[in-house]
Parts: sequence; structure tokens; C-alpha cells
Amino acid sequence: MSPSNLFRPTRNSVLFGLVLIAALLVPASSSFADLIAPQSGGGSPNAEGIRSLYLWIFGLGCIVFFGVVGLLIWTILKFRSSKGAVAVRVHGNNRLEVGWTVGAALLLVLIAVVTFLKLDQIKNPPNSSANGLATPKNVAFANGPAKPSLPPNGRSLNIDVNGQQYLWRYTYADTDTNNLNNVFSYEQMVVPTNTTVSLSIRALDVQHSWWIPELGGKFDAVPGYTNYTWFKISEPGVYKGQCAELCGRGHATMIASVKAVSPAEFKSWYAGQKTAILAAEKEAAAARNKLVAKDAAALKLAPKAEAPAAAAPVAAADGKKIFVAGVPATGALACGSCHTLGAAGTKAAVGPNLDVVLKGQSAAMIKASTLYPNKVISKGYAANIMPANYGTSLTKAQLDALVQYIDEAVNGK
Amino acid sequence: MTTTTSTPTKPGIPEIVTNSAAPRPSGWLSWLTSTDHKRIGIMYIVASWVFLVLGGVEALLIRLQLAVPDNTLLSPQTYNALFTMHGTTMVFLFLMPMIAGFANYLVPLMIGARDMAFPKLNALSLWLFIAGGIVFYGSLLYTPAECGWTCYAPLSETAFSPSNGVDSWIFLVHLTGVASFIGALNIFVTITNMRAPGMSWGRVPLFVWTMLTQAILLIISIPVIAGAVTLLLTDRHFGTHFYDPTNGGSALLWQHLFWFFGHPEVYILVLPGFGVISEVLPVFSRKPIFGYKAIVAATLGIAVIGTLVWAHHMFTVPLPFFLLVFFMLGTYLVAIPTGVKIFNWIFTMWRGSIEFPVAMLYSIGFLATFLLGGITGIFLATFPVDWQLHDTYFVVAHFHYTIVGGAVFAMMAGLYYWFPKMTGRMLNEKLGKVSFVLTLGGFWITFLIQHSAGLSGMPRRVYEYADVNNLGTYNMISTIGSFILALGVLLTIINVVQSLRSGAKSGPDPWRGNTLEWFTPSPPPVNNFDVVPRVRSVEPMQDIRRQIERQGRVGEEAGVAAGD
Repeated sequence: MSPSNLFRPTRNSVLFGLVLIAALLVPASSSFADLIAPQSGGGSPNAEGIRSLYLWIFGLGCIVFFGVVGLLIWTILKFRSSKGAVAVRVHGNNRLEVGWTVGAALLLVLIAVVTFLKLDQIKNPPNSSANGLATPKNVAFANGPAKPSLPPNGRSLNIDVNGQQYLWRYTYADTDTNNLNNVFSYEQMVVPTNTTVSLSIRALDVQHSWWIPELGGKFDAVPGYTNYTWFKISEPGVYKGQCAELCGRGHATMIASVKAVSPAEFKSWYAGQKTAILAAEKEAAAARNKLVAKDAAALKLAPKAEAPAAAAPVAAADGKKIFVAGVPATGALACGSCHTLGAAGTKAAVGPNLDVVLKGQSAAMIKASTLYPNKVISKGYAANIMPANYGTSLTKAQLDALVQYIDEAVNGK
Repeated sequence: MTTTTSTPTKPGIPEIVTNSAAPRPSGWLSWLTSTDHKRIGIMYIVASWVFLVLGGVEALLIRLQLAVPDNTLLSPQTYNALFTMHGTTMVFLFLMPMIAGFANYLVPLMIGARDMAFPKLNALSLWLFIAGGIVFYGSLLYTPAECGWTCYAPLSETAFSPSNGVDSWIFLVHLTGVASFIGALNIFVTITNMRAPGMSWGRVPLFVWTMLTQAILLIISIPVIAGAVTLLLTDRHFGTHFYDPTNGGSALLWQHLFWFFGHPEVYILVLPGFGVISEVLPVFSRKPIFGYKAIVAATLGIAVIGTLVWAHHMFTVPLPFFLLVFFMLGTYLVAIPTGVKIFNWIFTMWRGSIEFPVAMLYSIGFLATFLLGGITGIFLATFPVDWQLHDTYFVVAHFHYTIVGGAVFAMMAGLYYWFPKMTGRMLNEKLGKVSFVLTLGGFWITFLIQHSAGLSGMPRRVYEYADVNNLGTYNMISTIGSFILALGVLLTIINVVQSLRSGAKSGPDPWRGNTLEWFTPSPPPVNNFDVVPRVRSVEPMQDIRRQIERQGRVGEEAGVAAGD
């Protein structure tokens, strides 16, 4: 073969290429399961839905690719220059051109239709199965433009997923108002099978992305926003994934896994964690008291933190002081650092504007909202943000002064 | 110095002539101070290839690190800096300037102009681009940026990227951005005002059409990225909080601004490639382009729709549902004009008489490669599927298929096609064919398997991975392919250096081209054309050849009649 013919495509070389491709595709079916399609396998309907939608597009894409490449190769072989061959001077063909434009459009319409048909399975979580874990109704809140994904009956195991350089923290929602004693874990999330698990995904520092390939798509954890997804696993097992958005030098090692166990096993794991957390909290409180007592003894001062505040008569003016500055000694945060109140001159916007939301409310209602902030949540705001410790960090007199102050400030005398 | 007059003396095509032209200056100082569009074009191309070598070495280091699972060759810091430099270099310092170089060289020649509209601004563009490259690579002396070419905030804020590498990246975007913006204005004004007599919009060469469209895209999108990086700069050094969520800023703002530039950028890179293909295919099929008007319309359509689909890069961030649907359907729409073009190109060859020089081989390689990149684009445009594929090696494979398949292969075709015009010498065809086979083969080996790596759970931008789901095998294949690809590119560089000295003399029109650049000597004189012919079709050189043939016949007949 002369050098000039060396790179001229021939029928044989094309045939050889096709055989090679076919030979490569054969092992794909067995040992290389993820060679051509995304993963699934936990039985989570969203992952199954994405995989089947992908395979639809893959099939159509293969038809288009091999069709067009076939046409290309055929054209090159058939019309390669040869002695006596004369090119036909054609400038176009309107009918043909309109034809393939419409053809391409129809193909895309087909893909769009299939996508919308599969969308419900991928996007909307089903209710937990009867043999799953019985879960309470979730409080739905949205922080940012995305909508929470909750099943039709509103019951799911809600877990707060928090990305931070370079690990994932999972906090399990519970029903009490104290969000400091919730069960939590790092890196491995334990969930019950046959139960819809809804995730609220957030980030502490930079952007991360939550992704367990077998449990559906990835959702970015963007600081300042909350993102949502869900899964419902039927097969017990450990499903692995990792952060999918560049988050710094430790990005590659920011791994995550979900361990699915039976609801009974989950219950016992959860109870164990809860007991451990409560015990640890008790131990820490004892250690804190010991330290305070030690400090007090060392300084030869009477323990000041509890007694004087409780004993001193509280004037109404102190309500404003508590509102603006809090009571740092007992851990009562200042209301004004999160809320706007015209009379106190505070302008923060973390929580609702009190001049607006408390207008016309009774003093009893204001008191209840201070003590149990998650009972009533204003539209557009999230539960578990405001501390629920005012019942213990304020004395009764301080609380009454605070409530009286807010009532007067908002609703007048 | 040059005077132009109308000379309707002969019945032939010539229209505008120049009576005197300055002699060609020589010496290195004449290059540095040149405002000649051809010299500026060549300097653009040479500088961009220097950066290609740098970006290529970075890519090979990345592939070496990923060749085996749990590799410890590079530290995470070095690895992050490498992929940041690789992406930034290939986009801002290789492809954009190489395209600018070809455009500078060719647009005036193709439209029959004697230079660009603003020659001094043209030189300014070149030197700003080179300054941007130096500023960015200067960060090698301290700490290069590690935030990827997308440099997402808040990762790029001082709290998380305290080194000045990000600042050097910002200045690179500013300097090369200004260079591109001025260059785009220049191209736009040149094309709209300086076309040869008779070259109405329906007779403008398709490469020039794509450059005009690209210039408009640059004018729309460059100011947005310039604003975005300015806000990042003030966040980093002047106490603002545009992208800082802890102080009321928004992390999503950066992404919207970046991708409002970043998505048109894709078309900024590939549209000129489409133009090159639309020039090369008809010449070597010996047939007019199939559906000239449809290709122009598709080019404009891609540009218009392409400007409105940026958030398909953001399907995984918190977005309202209707936006997901809007950006999915919008992206589907872009596929239609792109598909139309592929069929137009194939039917340009249909019933032609096809020759296979290296330029044509690269064009055919472009068609198959870009086709696959377009098809995987539909996967990614479908937002539920994108939820699985986003930010994985599937995406890495996809955009290399579109950018390398679409822009680089097309520009390689352009290099082999126009090298004789720029230097007066032919590139070695045999060496070029070996280079082509290695480049195309190496590319497919490197990137086809990366789709599977992504499907098997490998995210992009990770410096190490565990050996699960055959990832070790996939990555080893990819690394081997990347070295084959690099060898192919190296052979083309060797080819260029050799042919500059010892290539066969090409003459003015070695390919029997269609457009006006083949009307002048190779390389063209400073003033490009002594005579600017009147343009009567989209293939003026065909008309001129016919005219000469006819005159020759008439002359022969006259000579025969008069002589004997």
C-alpha cells in the first residue's frame, strides 16, 4: 500500500472498527455495570427513574450517533475523488433542510415528553411503606428558591445535611423544642429501610454537593440556602458517595455513606445515640458547674450567676435591657441580635420583624412564642433557629419583664 | 502612501488598486511594533501555542496523578493549582487567542480589506492578552489559584483562598477580557465596513459570518464576567460582601454572572471552528457549501439561544422548578441549529469529489467528535439526568468532546489549510497524517472512557480516587490516551518548525480555494491586495478562475488569429 493510500478509509477498516466496538460492548453487560448508565441499586425510586430516563436518551442518542457517523463514512467512501469523478454543483435543497430541522425538533419533543413522564417518580417522594418507620409530620419550610420535597402525607424522616470543609454532618429532626440534644452523626448516615427520608441540605462554609450515586442525583449545599432531596431505600446495605463540588484541598476525601438498616435496628441505634447524647450533656453540665465553683472559690467570690438575678426585683426597664443585650451569664441571647423592634432600635433580620408579627398579639401569646419558638413559625422563616432555652436562661421575673416590654413596645400601653 | 482609485479600464473583475506600498519591514523590533493584521495574527497564534504547550504539560501531570488509584505523586494543593491553570490556560490563553489570531489574519484577507479597521487597537489587544498570560503565570512564583477555572465564590473569597493566586486569576480575566472586547469591536467594525465591492451579506464567507457572530457574543458577555471578577476583587480586598452569605451576599450571584459569560463562551470557542469547517469542506469536496443561508441562520440562532441557557450549568443548586424546565427546553432548542449544521456539512460532501489532505481529515474528525459532544449535551440538558451526571467525569468528557472536538480540531484543520497562505510553504502532509491519526485516536481513547468513569461515581476535580467500580482501569486507559494525544500535537509542532524552513513552496493558491485570501501571493504583501476584485458570489475565486480561463481562451484564439 503506498503512503498516499495509507490513510484513505477503506471498507475493510470501517468493518474492522465496527467489530471492535461490538467486541468492546459485550463485556459491558456483566462486569462493567456502570460503563454506560448511571448507578442505582438501593431500590430508591428516584435513582431508578433517572437510570431509566438516561437509558431512553442513551438509546435515541446511539441511533442518532451511529446513523450520522454511518452516513458520514458512507459519504466519504462513496464520493472520494477518483479519475473522472465530477462534483455536482448543488447549493442546497430546501425540502431536505426543512426535513432534518423538523426531524431534530421532533426527536427533542420525544425526549422532553419522556422526561416529563418520568419526572414524578424522580422528583416527588412517595409515602413511607407500612413496614417502614412511623415518622411524625414534618414542618415544611423553605429557605431560598427551592421547595422542600415531602411525601403526600407529609411524614418522613427529616435529616439536616450540613456540608463543611471536609465532612458531612447529619442532624436528625425530633419533636422537642431543644435543637441542641438532637441525634447527629458525621460521615455515615444511618436510616431505616422502606421509609421516606427527606434531606435538608445546607453548607457551613463553601459550596459542597451531596451525592450518593445509587440513591439518586446530587444536590448542592450552598451556604445561605437550603436545598432538598429525598430517597427511600428498600435494600439494606451501605451506599457510598462523596462531595461532588470542588470545596478546597480536601475535596477528594470528603466522603459520605448511607447505611440502611431495618426500622427496628434503626430504632435501637437511635435510642442508643439519644441516651449517649443526654448522658454526655449531663456530664458536661456537671463539669461546667465544677469549673464555675472552682473559679468562684479561687476568686473568693460567691457564685453570682444564679442568685442575684433571681433575687433582685426586676423593673420594666430591664425588659429593654434583656431585649437588647440578653443575659450573657445564663446563656440567654439578646432578642435584638436577630429581630427588628422599632422601640428598641434593633434592625436585625435573622428572625421575623416583631413590630409586624406581634402586632395585635396578646401578652400570653408573646410569652408562649418566647418560650416555645417552634410552635408558630412565621411565613418564610425556619424552625429550630431561635433558641428554645428562654424558660431556663431567664428567671420568671426577667421573662415577665421582657414580655411586658415587648408587648408595650409593639402594642402600646 | 496607498492610494485607491477606480479603474474600470479592463472589462474584467479588478476594481480597486493600490499604486504603491511600503516595503516589508524586518527585524524583531518591527514585529513588536507592528500594526499589520497579519503579523499580529501570527504573533497571536505563536503565543497561543506556547500556552498550549504549558496547558498540555499541566494536563499530562493531571493524567499522571490519576493514572492509578490513591496516587501520591502530587499534593492536593499542587493538583488543584494544576487543573485551575489547565482550564484557565486552555480557554483564555490558548483557544481564545488562537481564534483571535486566525481571525486577525484571515478576516481582512477574506473580505478584501487591506488591514483591520483599527490597526493600533489591534496591537493593543495582542499585548494585553500577552500581559494577562504573564500576570497569571507569574503566580507560579508564589501560590497559584486553586479554585478551578470557574473560581466559585465563596471558595474564592479571602477566607478560603487567602493566597494572591486568585487575584492573579482575576487580573488575567480582566486583561484578556479587555483584549477580547477590543478585538471583538475591531472585528465587528472591520466586517461591517470594509468588505470588497460587491460583497453583500449573502456573499460573506462563512468563516467571516461566524467571526461576526462571535464578536457580538463577546461584546455581550465579556462585560458581565469583567463585572463579576471586579466584585470578587472588592470582596477580597475592599471589604464588600457581594458573594459572602455570612454578610448578606449570595453565593449564587457569582454562578449566575459567571455562567452568563461562561455559556456563551462555549459558542465563542466553537463558532469560529464551525466557520473553518464551512470553508474547508467545500474546497476539498469541490462543491459549494450545502445550504449557505441555513448555516448562517443556524449560526445566528445558536448565538441568540446560547445566550439564554446559562443556568443549565446550575441544575443542582437550589432553583425554582419552572427555571429548571425553562433552561432544559432552551438547551434542547440549541441542539436544533447545531444538528442542522452537521447535516449541511455532510451533504456538502455528498456527491462531491472528496480529497483527503490533512485539513480535510481534521474536518471529518471534527464532525464525528463534535457530534458525540452534542449528543452527550442532550443528556446533560435533561435536568433529572444532569442530577446524576453533573460535576462528574461525564461532564469532563462532554466538554472536551465539544471544545477539543469542536474548536481545537477545527482550528487544526485551519492550521493545515492556511499555513501555506501565512508562510508561503506547505506543511508536510505525511507527517501531518501521522499527527492526525495520533491526535484523533489519542483523544477518543482519553475521553470516551471518561464518560464511564463519571457514570461509575467519579466526581471531577478530585486528586485521588478509590479503586472501586473499575475506576482504576478507566483512568489508566485515559492516561495512556492522553500521551498518544500529546505525541500527535507534538508532531504537528515539529511539522510546523520543519516546514517553515524546508516545506515545499506553495504558490498563491495551493488548494484551489474559494475565497479572496487565495487571490494574493503567499505570504501576502503588507497591503494584502494591489487590486481588490469585485465580488460576484460566495466563491469569488471560482469566478476569477473562470474569468481568467475565458480570457486566456479568448487571448489564445486572438493570438492564433493575429499571429499566423
